[in-house]
Amino acid sequence: MSKDKTQKSVQTTGHSWDGDLQEYNNPLPRWWLWAFYATIVFAVVYWFLYPTLPIGRDYTKGIGNEITYTTADGKTVTTHWNTRALFLKEQEEARKRQAVYLEKLAKASYEDIAKDPELSAFVFSRAKVLFADNCAACHQRGGNGVLGEYPNLLDDSWLWGGTFADIQQTITNGRHGNMPAWKGQLSDQQIGDVVEYVLSLSGEPVDADRAARGKTVFMNNCAVCHGQDARGQKFLGSANLTDKIWTIAKVPQANSLDGKRNAVRQVVENGKRRTMPAWKGRLSDTEIKILTYYVHELGGGQ
Amino acid sequence: MAHTTAQPAQYDYAIVRNFTIMALVWGVLGMTAGLYIASELAWPFLNYDIPQITFGRLRPVHTTLVIFGFGGSALFATSYYVVQRTCQTRLWGGPLARFTFWGWQLAILLAAVTYMAGYTQAREYAEMTWPIDILIAVVWVAYLVIYVMTMRNRSQPHIYVANWFYIAFILATALLHIFNNLAMPVSLFSLSSYSLQSGVQDAMTQWWYGHNAVGFFLTAAFLGMMYYFVPKQVGRPVYSYRLSIIHFWALIFLYMWVGAHHLHWTALPDWTSTLAATFSILLLMPSWGGMINGIMTLSGAWDKLRTDPIIRFLVVALSFYGMSTFEGPLMSLKSVNALSHYTDWTVGHVHSGALGWVAMISFGSLYHLVPRLWNTRMWSTSLIYLHFWLATIGIVLYISAMWVAGIGQGLLLRAFDDYGNLAYTFIETVQFLHQPYVVRALGGLFFVSGILTMGFNTFMTIRQGRREQAALQAAAA
Repeated sequence: MSKDKTQKSVQTTGHSWDGDLQEYNNPLPRWWLWAFYATIVFAVVYWFLYPTLPIGRDYTKGIGNEITYTTADGKTVTTHWNTRALFLKEQEEARKRQAVYLEKLAKASYEDIAKDPELSAFVFSRAKVLFADNCAACHQRGGNGVLGEYPNLLDDSWLWGGTFADIQQTITNGRHGNMPAWKGQLSDQQIGDVVEYVLSLSGEPVDADRAARGKTVFMNNCAVCHGQDARGQKFLGSANLTDKIWTIAKVPQANSLDGKRNAVRQVVENGKRRTMPAWKGRLSDTEIKILTYYVHELGGGQ
Repeated sequence: MAHTTAQPAQYDYAIVRNFTIMALVWGVLGMTAGLYIASELAWPFLNYDIPQITFGRLRPVHTTLVIFGFGGSALFATSYYVVQRTCQTRLWGGPLARFTFWGWQLAILLAAVTYMAGYTQAREYAEMTWPIDILIAVVWVAYLVIYVMTMRNRSQPHIYVANWFYIAFILATALLHIFNNLAMPVSLFSLSSYSLQSGVQDAMTQWWYGHNAVGFFLTAAFLGMMYYFVPKQVGRPVYSYRLSIIHFWALIFLYMWVGAHHLHWTALPDWTSTLAATFSILLLMPSWGGMINGIMTLSGAWDKLRTDPIIRFLVVALSFYGMSTFEGPLMSLKSVNALSHYTDWTVGHVHSGALGWVAMISFGSLYHLVPRLWNTRMWSTSLIYLHFWLATIGIVLYISAMWVAGIGQGLLLRAFDDYGNLAYTFIETVQFLHQPYVVRALGGLFFVSGILTMGFNTFMTIRQGRREQAALQAAAA
């Protein structure tokens, strides 16, 4: 290229250092110089359009660059360009899109939501983030919970009831579940018997004699909460022991009958306290409504 | 009017050798720490619940060891070498120069140990607690005095361009370090302190420091390195003296304004933000001035790229310098920043500068320096080629992974669906990051392998140099 030719004709500055270090006296590359000027022009234009120079306690606001937005409480504000206003404007636009559905939702019953495909699509879109940010820490992202700690929301077994009203109540006010510890209250023999009985309810091939003795223990001690039929009572949050769905005892993880016996014994001996926190005050009524509908649809709502 | 080259004996090379070795030691340790924390982000179990090695504590260990340990020692080494050779005089100061060596190494060591023990000032790139800050300030003033006195003693009428950059770096770093670390200790026997500023002023001071640490420590100083080692290695004059003057003063003037672009979309006033953004745009061409001057110096000697692996390091360094100084102004625009801020794009950008520019120019310069310091040739040229490829592949993997991670994360975090709801949950954005994080860690592994290769090659070179020296002495006796 011509570069090499020009370099040959260009002189060095005449200085030299450390033996052979020299400098050519080439002019500034033209494209470089023009590009530098272009950035200066860009900067100056920018300074006229946006807030730029501090003057006393004030600053230049920029020309022809106003933003109008409406706040969450309905005030309309016109201001010079600024990043906060841009953010509020973006929020306003999202709010506008949501408002159509939120108004409908406030008046709608759960049955109305189910009948309106667009509204229920909105509910699912909103619930996804609400659930992930508030519920997933315990119930897991998919709602499958953690056996022994946090209930599974995907099945149709509901400790505290699976109707819309029940679920809404659970989310709003929270729940306290308490299975008392029976170690010391019952003898080792009695606990062993009642474990046999409980496993027999799920059709496990247990010792029939011990199960029969266990039934007596059950009726005298456990039936008050779990019910005579062992199907649980939703006003106490007591578990149904006949449906082969285990909410606390880690029976599904056990490989042998003895493993299952141990899993149930653990729960009978030590009991279990669990708390579902109340979300009233932390989530709005509409948000609770959205989550209620979502959780109901996740599993077999009743 | 070329002056005769002075005899090496008149120069103080011992101090240069010490700093060169420590640059490599800190480089290996700091980059390994970086690889480990990159792996922790990809596989969090690597925390092992040991507080001392969690990300929060190891991250400043990584940045301090690579910036101040590796970069700083490389700068001390090259600046002490360059100032002596281009001023044609011995380094001034004797024991004071030794003090800068031991003081600097002690500061780095103390910083790393205290971070792991949980003591930090919580200012990015300035996490050292106040006693270490004081040690650094004293070392730095000594450095400045040594450098100025050596230049005053020069037996050359003119000051070579590399020295302008080195002196600007030393002066500005002293200023930045002292003002950013103004703080009141809780008590004489406490490592904790209160910052002099508070709120947004404090943030502003921190980023005035932070970005100028990039501008003067990681840019101006390494340009000084470039201005000596590129023309030396290529054997051609610097392309343009005029360009070097213009881009030097433009850089010095403009860099001081741009720190606030780290605080877009915060409580910082918009006018401050605007000034920072526009000055960042103005910085583009002055930065490229340095790149052009380096690359054009090579023009006419391109064939050497085939035969000289050191020139490859230098050219790749200049290319990454050009790329990241283009990316930087782009990211400083408020609209781009709205996407990139708080994402891994920033991390990628920093590393294209830190690995691509700072580390590569240092590797090239040190490969030039080591054989001259130990009076021999590099033990293995093939290992230099190997290092070059390991480093280059590592950087490319690192940066592309962070582009994907950062831009993806930015888009996911602010995506709305048709209903005006956020389209993604926070956890989904985290899950998305796993794959790029794995690739990033792999890039880091390449880069660390590279510097290990260099460490080994340098060790063998020094041993070879000593053997040859011993053989010479034996023959003479």
